[in-house]
Amino acid sequence: MTSGILASATPTSAVGWMMFIAKKYSNLFIQGTLITLYVAVVGTIVGFILGYLIGIIEDIKINKEDNIIKKILVRILKIISMIYVELFRGTPMIVQGMIVYYGLRQGGCEITSVAAGILVTVLNTGAYMSETVRAGIKSIDVGQREGALALGMSPMLTMFTVILPQAFKNIIPEMANTFLTNLKMTSVLNVIGVSELFMMAKTAGGTYYKYFESYLVIAVIYLVLCFFFNRVFLLIEKKMATKSDYVLAVEYMDNQ
Amino acid sequence: MGEKIISIEDLGKSFGDHEVLRKIDFSVEKGEVICILGPSGSGKSTLLRCINRLEHQTSGKIIYHGTPVKDGQREVNEFRSKVGMVFQSFNLFNNMTVLKNCMAGTRKVLHISKEEAFDRAITHLKAVGMAPFINAYPSQLSGGQKQRVAIARALCMNPEVLLFDEPTSALDPEMVGEVLNVMKELAKTGLTMIIVTHEMGFARDVSTRTIFMDKGYIVEDDAPSRLFTNPKNPRTREFLSRFIEG
Repeated sequence: MTSGILASATPTSAVGWMMFIAKKYSNLFIQGTLITLYVAVVGTIVGFILGYLIGIIEDIKINKEDNIIKKILVRILKIISMIYVELFRGTPMIVQGMIVYYGLRQGGCEITSVAAGILVTVLNTGAYMSETVRAGIKSIDVGQREGALALGMSPMLTMFTVILPQAFKNIIPEMANTFLTNLKMTSVLNVIGVSELFMMAKTAGGTYYKYFESYLVIAVIYLVLCFFFNRVFLLIEKKMATKSDYVLAVEYMDNQ
Repeated sequence: MGEKIISIEDLGKSFGDHEVLRKIDFSVEKGEVICILGPSGSGKSTLLRCINRLEHQTSGKIIYHGTPVKDGQREVNEFRSKVGMVFQSFNLFNNMTVLKNCMAGTRKVLHISKEEAFDRAITHLKAVGMAPFINAYPSQLSGGQKQRVAIARALCMNPEVLLFDEPTSALDPEMVGEVLNVMKELAKTGLTMIIVTHEMGFARDVSTRTIFMDKGYIVEDDAPSRLFTNPKNPRTREFLSRFIEG
């Protein structure tokens, strides 16, 4: 453990080494944390939008009396989304990363590894999210949809004013889950050269051959990040919950 | 009476092999209050749902002011904005307050100004006695209160006809009264209404015409005074016997 030149400065315990590595490579870890957050946040948000889009497409009903162009268009959209969801839910993210990155590069598109990482995160999130959105839409009773249609609202207006706001609220916990998963799953993106936390730990650990301690450092960082975001999501959920009381409009009371 | 608003011609509806509506023929004139009675499964609700296009008929026509209602989404939306519907399970929007529920249709479908939409909402909420609850969410209201809001929401659209699909069937006996009273008042204002109901007393006292349906057919269509006291069809007599004796 204590070899010649390093003897005076080197720590003796694992915790000591963790502190030592964290301090010495603090720049690497901070940079890695930022990249991890960047890929996870952008990838998740855009992925959510994609997921909502696919979820809504999957929910469109084709009626017998619709015109032929609408029928064909919707059918094509549905088939595309189905294939997309199957592909991305049926393959590991690490493989998707490789295929997207090297595939694009081979095809002549000079995509950076971070951009490819975000793209893979978006596509992966979108596929899973679409199923969550579908479930969220299904959780709203048909009656509210019929109530909106009966007022003359179009199916799309109904979706955006009545169904989605409620579905959104119902799937917040699942959206939080997805984000936390993404935060951790960005670690696989080191295979395509994204300099996120995992890659930084590998680099930092390599110098002293202290991989155990180095990965412990990023484990703590992941844990703190997840803990923090979890609280944030709980707070959002609480804020969005329906209040249990309401104010009587006394100015109209005499009419009772 | 007045002009024909809606005519239904030879309407049929099947779910697979099951025929729910057969050869339905009747028309609705301005100012009429039509009650539709009949045993469960006789097709009453399906008929109402066909009228406002929540179900698509298998055969026959629905004619609105002399022209058949087209199938295009835009035409259907426009038609629905003029033919209101009140549901058995209220179907209020749970993500909106009472006031927002009443303003959603007028703002987003009719595109009237915020002020006018607000005034309409308050006027109709006052009429149903729910104006003090504008800030409440549906989950904070009782069934009877929800149904009264649903009626106000439909009225805000200034509908030509208002359809009621068993509006009191999901309510406990105490709340049935408050909703029926609101509907009675509406009938007095001359609003055209088609009401599917099991409330015999209400049908007899309030309707201008009563329709009895069984097994998808209109069995009898007559003034309530005749239908309730001297039904022509034996099936009508059988159905009403419990009520007439009681």
